[in-house]
Amino acid sequence: MPLLRNRKRFCQLLLMVILGILSFLVSGALFSAEIKQGDIAKRSDEYFLSVNIDYHLSEKAKTALQNGVPLYWNLLVKVQKYPGFFWDKTWLKVAKRYQLQYHALLNMYRVKNEDNGEVHSFSSLSSALELMSVIIDLPLINKALLDPEHQYLCLIKLDFKRDDLPLPLRPFAYIDPQWYLSSEWTSWPLKK
Amino acid sequence: MAPEKIKPPVNLSVLILFGLILLSLQLMSSAMQESSELSAMYSWLLLFNTLGSVVLLFLVGANIYALLQHTKRREAGSRLTARMMSLFVVLALAPAIIVFYFSMQFLHQGIDSWFNVEIDRAMEDALELSQASLDQRMRGQLRQTEQLIDKLEGFSENAATLEIEHLRELSGASEMTLFSRQGRIIASSSNNPADILPSLPEEHIWLQLRQNGFFMALAPVHEHELMVRVIVTVKSIESQYLQALYSVPVRIADLADSVEFASARYQEMSYLRSSLRMSFSLALSLVLLMSLLAAIWVAFISIRNITAPVKELVKGTKAVASGHYDQILPVMAQDDLGFLVESFNDMTNRIAQARDETRKVGVEVENQRAYLETILGNLTAGVISFDETFKIRTANQAAYRIFRVHVNQFVGKTLMELVETYVELVEPLKSIQHLLENADDIWQQRIAFLGPNGRQELLCRGTPLFSQEGFRVGSVVVFDDVTDLIQAQKNAAWGEVARRLAHEIKNPLTPIQLSAERLQLKLANKLDSSDGAILQRSIQTIVQQVEAMKEMVDDFSEYAKPSKKQSVNVNISHLIQEVLALYTLREGIRFKARYQSGLQIVNGDPVSIRQVIHNLIKNSLEAVGLEGLIEINVHRVLKNNTDYVEIALYDNGAGIKEDQVEKIFEPYVTTKVKGTGLGLAIVKKIIEDHGGAIWVDNGRKVGAGFIIQLPACNSELS
Repeated sequence: MPLLRNRKRFCQLLLMVILGILSFLVSGALFSAEIKQGDIAKRSDEYFLSVNIDYHLSEKAKTALQNGVPLYWNLLVKVQKYPGFFWDKTWLKVAKRYQLQYHALLNMYRVKNEDNGEVHSFSSLSSALELMSVIIDLPLINKALLDPEHQYLCLIKLDFKRDDLPLPLRPFAYIDPQWYLSSEWTSWPLKK
Repeated sequence: MAPEKIKPPVNLSVLILFGLILLSLQLMSSAMQESSELSAMYSWLLLFNTLGSVVLLFLVGANIYALLQHTKRREAGSRLTARMMSLFVVLALAPAIIVFYFSMQFLHQGIDSWFNVEIDRAMEDALELSQASLDQRMRGQLRQTEQLIDKLEGFSENAATLEIEHLRELSGASEMTLFSRQGRIIASSSNNPADILPSLPEEHIWLQLRQNGFFMALAPVHEHELMVRVIVTVKSIESQYLQALYSVPVRIADLADSVEFASARYQEMSYLRSSLRMSFSLALSLVLLMSLLAAIWVAFISIRNITAPVKELVKGTKAVASGHYDQILPVMAQDDLGFLVESFNDMTNRIAQARDETRKVGVEVENQRAYLETILGNLTAGVISFDETFKIRTANQAAYRIFRVHVNQFVGKTLMELVETYVELVEPLKSIQHLLENADDIWQQRIAFLGPNGRQELLCRGTPLFSQEGFRVGSVVVFDDVTDLIQAQKNAAWGEVARRLAHEIKNPLTPIQLSAERLQLKLANKLDSSDGAILQRSIQTIVQQVEAMKEMVDDFSEYAKPSKKQSVNVNISHLIQEVLALYTLREGIRFKARYQSGLQIVNGDPVSIRQVIHNLIKNSLEAVGLEGLIEINVHRVLKNNTDYVEIALYDNGAGIKEDQVEKIFEPYVTTKVKGTGLGLAIVKKIIEDHGGAIWVDNGRKVGAGFIIQLPACNSELS
């Protein structure tokens, strides 16, 4: 029956699409950043975060960087109730924003903290990434804002800004796993 | 019919959607410019347009699938829609693809024209030149710093603190610092009094310094400032390091920055060349795809609206073709198609009226035909109509009665075809066919033939039929069996003759005879012997002839008299046995009689019937002469739902000549030397007076044969 045959073919096509998406997600994970060794400390009524981030730049990202394309990352921090519902208040902020760029004249990599304008130059990429890897005592939230009756989670994600790439690169950055340089959300409980 | 509002081919929602698609494409086009504020939304716009294309593709695909299904099912208007859509797609696609192809060509060529080898080389050279220039400057400052080492050798740490200010000023450095081997600051000097803490080398600088013994590098200080860092080893008791920071002149820094910016920009653009080309191609393809899909989709809606009245018309036409004339189609628009639909409705209305009238007329015609058929069916005369090829079109029941052939076997055949089946009708059918073929006007003819029941005589009248244009379209033959009528006329004539003969001739015969006898009596003695003999012979001749004339007159009288004087049941078998008993003593003659078992009773006059048997046997005896065989068969037959007693009488005598067969039963027809020729005429008269029939058996090859059929008496049968 042609109808059944068409349905079978449609199911096969759907399966292939799902497999393609899964493989995309798996391959995307190869170049995603990892958040390691996180620690939340409470001093006075303020919570502070210290984390170590592992960057894995893909070849395409490195090539783009070498050709003068600046790369941007945002460190996102989110504090929410646990267990919570979607209507519960969530504090979300961009804690840090980094720009990494290569300077051909000086043959150096420059890391710029977009929040305070600090610029650091490094002769090697690893040195530049190392600077961006270490976050120490990042202020999270004041304890007074939290409900003492509830548990809270702190979630952190390093978000690679594909929208800040040059315009011609953007469409391909969304479909190319080599441009998936963000990390997953990583959570830690906020101690009372 | 109330006029309806003229509807646009495309409704408002479609126009709004089309506008949204155009707006989205325009926004994406604007976002392609990096300076645009919409550039941040580029990805979202691209996604939105892609989704829009997918939705449109789905809509178009669904429409194409539906159209294919309709075409496959041969639905009304589907083929017209398919043809119009194909035409539209071809007309829209061809120029769009041509424009797309050349746009892509121009686009790619335009992007490629931004880059060429010379500019590429110039950019690289400019950057290399800047690097070389700065490098040369660094090396010069390295040498300059190295020359200062000698002046520091042998100085204590305290003395070095004082000397370093002098050395900084001497070298023109912006900052100079002396570090111990462990990296401790021994002495420092800066041209900026606000700088309390000198610039400290990073870890990798120390590593490089310990490996090479010196370090020099150019580093940015602020946004557009450059600084040369030179560190050399001071060889004293304990190794020390002298770091000197030289500011790069602003002009040189600006120039280097400008060169770097341009070079970096060019390199970035060069790197993005393929992506840029792909990106523009993607956007252009998306614009083309969306425009085409939207146009095709709108075309589907428009063409569907346009062909809707055509579909209705096709449905209506099919309904009319299948005989449903009451079909009224809705008028969807007051345009040409609407006018066509109105005309169609008028047409079907008129056809319905015409059909009703035709039906009415048809009923009338049918009634008339039935009436005519009834008349024709009840006519005693046979009526047969022929077409122009002389094939029988109609025949009435009377024709069947006359020819003894069923009407159904007449229709559709020519008379010549019937001849092959019905041999006994050869003569009349051939005669009628001949007359039909040759007569151009009304004709009339008597046709006599020997049928299965004996001689029959038909009175035929025919007329050819002509159309209004004068062409011959067939003919009609009306015929009547006048055998009985003719016979009755003949019998009446002969009866009258016989009656007059009896009256006019028989009366003078007796005086003639008496007068002759008296002459003989008076004159016999007066004449001599010879004259007396003459007189006697003459008188004897006169008396004999008068006697013969008397007999003849008696025969005629007998013929003229009614033969059925009484009516009683007569057993034919017994009667024949009685008659035969009178003749069995004759030598040389053999009689062979067969009687069917059962009673063979007829109602009639036994004397007359006995006379019939006597006459026929006498004829046979005269025919066979001294020796011969006479056969008599008596049995019952069923003919035309009537029971008959059939008497068949055969002899092996001389037989009857063919030319006399037809007239053998007419008075005064005889084959014998003696005889009045009234014997068989009287026989036939008696038989017919009893409701029977007699005829000569034509199938008899030897001698003569007569067949008599008399109606059997049913009361006796039961």
